[in-house]
Amino acid sequence: MNGEGILPQEGAIIILRDIAKSYWRETLEIPVLHGIDLEIPRGGYYALMGPSGSGKTTLLNLIAGIDRPTGGTLQVCGFELNDLDDDELAGWRNQFVGFIFQNYNLVPVLNAFENVELPLLLSGLSRRERREKVEHALELVNLTDRMLNYPRQLSGGQEQRVAVARAIVTDPELLVADEPTGALDSKNAEEVLQLMERLNQDLGKTIVIVTHDPKAAHHARHQIHLEKGLLDKTIEVNR
Amino acid sequence: MKWIAFVLKSMRRSKLRTLLILGTMTFGVLVVALLLSLLTTLDSVANNPNSTNRIVVRHKSGLTQVLPRSYEAYLKQQPEVETVCGLQWFGGFYQDPGNFFANFASDEETLFQVFREEFGASGITEEQLKEYIRDGSGCIVGKALADKFGWKVGDTVPLTGTIFPISPRLTIRVIFRSPKPSDENVLHFHTKLLEEGVPRMKGRVGTYFVRTKSPDDIPRLIERVDRNFANSASETLSETENSFNLSFVKMLGNISVLLQGISLVVLVALIFVAFSTMAMAIRERTTEISVFRALGFTAQRVMGLVILEGLVLTGAGGALGLGLTWLLAAVLRPVMGSIFPFFQDFNVQTGTMLLCMGGALAVGLLSTFMPAYEAVRKPITEGLKTL
Ligand SMILES: Nc1ncnc2c1ncn2[C@@H]1O[C@H](COP(=O)(O)OP(=O)(O)O)[C@@H](O)[C@H]1O
Ligand SMILES: [Mg+2]
Repeated sequence: MNGEGILPQEGAIIILRDIAKSYWRETLEIPVLHGIDLEIPRGGYYALMGPSGSGKTTLLNLIAGIDRPTGGTLQVCGFELNDLDDDELAGWRNQFVGFIFQNYNLVPVLNAFENVELPLLLSGLSRRERREKVEHALELVNLTDRMLNYPRQLSGGQEQRVAVARAIVTDPELLVADEPTGALDSKNAEEVLQLMERLNQDLGKTIVIVTHDPKAAHHARHQIHLEKGLLDKTIEVNR
Repeated sequence: MKWIAFVLKSMRRSKLRTLLILGTMTFGVLVVALLLSLLTTLDSVANNPNSTNRIVVRHKSGLTQVLPRSYEAYLKQQPEVETVCGLQWFGGFYQDPGNFFANFASDEETLFQVFREEFGASGITEEQLKEYIRDGSGCIVGKALADKFGWKVGDTVPLTGTIFPISPRLTIRVIFRSPKPSDENVLHFHTKLLEEGVPRMKGRVGTYFVRTKSPDDIPRLIERVDRNFANSASETLSETENSFNLSFVKMLGNISVLLQGISLVVLVALIFVAFSTMAMAIRERTTEISVFRALGFTAQRVMGLVILEGLVLTGAGGALGLGLTWLLAAVLRPVMGSIFPFFQDFNVQTGTMLLCMGGALAVGLLSTFMPAYEAVRKPITEGLKTL
């Protein structure tokens, strides 16, 4: 947030090589992704599109390190994710990835401030340092005045903005969002999308967003289309 | 600190459930702590370390029968015997029949030798002792008893007899202290006062408390005494003081076995409630646990937090339960103590507290461990799945 997120565009921040992912039901293999090769440059803003069930979420989860591929290698933020064990991967996520979910996933018993503070609890930061960072993040999403409100006291749009603040409070290089506007009306959706655009442009965050909403996808600079677990095409969005 | 704060906030999630577990633990610990306290108190009656040197000699036909005074000389002659004190339960009351406390007509000279441990802590001076022995209508009372009725040394205490048709007016000569509360709720006056006032007690006494030189001598002594008076007009029944006291609480001992059974059932039910409530609470949090892990919390960290929450909750319940037990003990002590004197010693032992606290924490740990483990074993993506 204080500029260190903007790194020179030397090479890709996400490199997928021949990524495959299957699920098993009993002994029956259900292949979801096959042979995905993908590179996303640092500071990129990519929308992952495709019909329902095409594997968008699965792919995003792999990139974000909350799922493991069945085959292939993936390098994200300079780490070969296959080489990290579960605990290392958890630490890696905390440091490098910000998550934005469709249904916000705020903790109901924590207020906005405490929700945003959550990922920082894992750091060695002092109370005061955490407070500074949380306040800064809430300022960025324009919710300073809602700091002490609980999720149920916030509108959906506000909740999602708190979630965005939580995603950026650790100043990660990568933001992933799975249908972040799926539960919002168009006005609130637009607000969140503009916020994400700012995070990309002003703070240089690399963003990968899964959406089937063309309007949402239009905010991204690139669209990747998935079709039955295969990359279909990548389109540059002209603006 | 930040984790404790977090865990405390987390408990607001379902106040009803938090209260249910808290209440369950509080009640469970209350039941167990009360029972254990009762058992340790009963045990202290039967295993009073102060009594190991003493035996009680009484009439074989029961406590309502009395023994001849002449037996005292025989008892004193036995090589194992250090000293002998005749003790007669007087059963009088002060002002109101409801004011129950133990009062005895006892041999004023040997009382302090036979019950050395009971009077040892009081720091009775030689002067006071002489004063009591000199005054035939003097009496000595325990500190707790004196406090209860607001008595001071020099006060006159009229005792109304219930078993014997006399009502002596006694002058308090000594107020003594004792390590055990029940030993402080006692009044003694002179044997002679009873013997002179009640013709049938002339030259007779209900029990002899015999102090032996060593506990090892006791079996031999008991056997010889009872054999000596066998086939006489007044046969004796001799036993250790502990076994004598136990005969007064035997019925309670039986009740306590029943209580143990009941509380075991209650306890199992309560633990079951705690376990299933805890498991339900954790299972409902599957999504949140996945979110935490996505944010970078390791499986161990998440488990630790969930278990910590269980421990804080059951620990608080345990502490609350012990607090209530302690309060209840304070209330029961005087109320029950006026019916069963040993209840004056009823209290919550440190061992009981540690055991209950340990038990409560064990429930907290065990009830959260399995569900927490199951929750973190699940793939993160599983918990995040919507619709
Ligand atoms: N845990 C799972 N077990 C079995 N099949 C799964 C699992 N998760 C996803 N799938 C299947 O993988 C395919 C892709 O799912 P997903 O990545 O969620 O698609 P999208 O996000 O594009 O709608 C779907 O057919 C889905 O049923
Ligand atoms: Mg999806």
